Amino acid sequence: MMTINILFIIMIGLASGLAVGAGFVAFLSVLGVIPRLTQLTKTMKLIAWYEWAVVFGALLGTAGSLRDPELHLSPYVTIPLGLTGGIFVGMMAAALTEVLNVLPILAKRVRVDDKLETLLMAIVLGKVFGSLFHWIYFVGR
Amino acid sequence: MLEVILMEKTIYIRMRNRVQVKPEEILLLKDIAQIIASETIYQDLTVLEVKRVSPKDHIHIIDVMKVIHFITAIYPDYEVQAIGPAQTIIEVIYKKKGMSIPFFILVWILLFFGAALTIMNFHEDVSMQTVHKRLYFIMTGKEVEKPLLFQIPYSIGIGVGMILFFNHVFKKRLNEEPSPLEVEMFNYQQSLDQYVILYENKESVKHIDDD
Repeated sequence: MMTINILFIIMIGLASGLAVGAGFVAFLSVLGVIPRLTQLTKTMKLIAWYEWAVVFGALLGTAGSLRDPELHLSPYVTIPLGLTGGIFVGMMAAALTEVLNVLPILAKRVRVDDKLETLLMAIVLGKVFGSLFHWIYFVGR
Repeated sequence: MLEVILMEKTIYIRMRNRVQVKPEEILLLKDIAQIIASETIYQDLTVLEVKRVSPKDHIHIIDVMKVIHFITAIYPDYEVQAIGPAQTIIEVIYKKKGMSIPFFILVWILLFFGAALTIMNFHEDVSMQTVHKRLYFIMTGKEVEKPLLFQIPYSIGIGVGMILFFNHVFKKRLNEEPSPLEVEMFNYQQSLDQYVILYENKESVKHIDDD
């Protein structure tokens, strides 16, 4: 009976992990962040490496959140970590705006086809401001 | 010799995709199409009046069939060869409407605070604060209420990531390729054009008469 229970638990864990992992990759593919990065850096041939980076990153995140290790590193290690994490989230946010086709329609409606960069900067600066405001002032109030 | 004669008796036209005109302007053939023809008739062809824009038009489609019909009526012994797009979209521009500055500032502020609010909502939605605190604890072994050392670079990173994706820093572009946004604008314009070509051009759709 015990063995069956354990086997069952293993199977459920595997199945849910499979669903979550597949969902994560599907979401990334829809947003097209990785192709965009290879296009910017002109490293189309290395795309398999990027895929592995995502897989290992996801595994590391899972291990970290499930096992709660303590690494006792210098707090300054978190600076590059925060920056890279932020860039990733920023690219996701930009991709999401783009997938939703908001900007072309908006630009056409308010007739600012030539000032699109300025509107874009409004969104970018707004995101940075919102995020800073959230962390520095908003939380814990 | 036969080929030469044939060449001289052929008029090649290629319709332009979009043409912007002022109201009540007279459209010449050279405005709506590129033309190749023998020199004897080329000058006359370019200044052929195809259409006078009527005041109430906004968008008008000129089909290549109409143009061929029009040319052959005047030059019956010439053959017309059409190349490229099958129609031209005539866009009548009434007044070059500039953006009013206050309106633009309003939209800018709207986008700015809208973006700020959505990122805050997103952070709350995914419990970003808890995740950051735990991540900070994992890395340093210290419990901190506000891991700002991690969070401020993170916030700046969001801006950098969006700029990287859109390939724009104000007017400067980071490399030569068109940005996804420009491609998206192009696609949107193409879809709009496709729509007007089908629905504004009476020749392209034939309905059943049901009366």
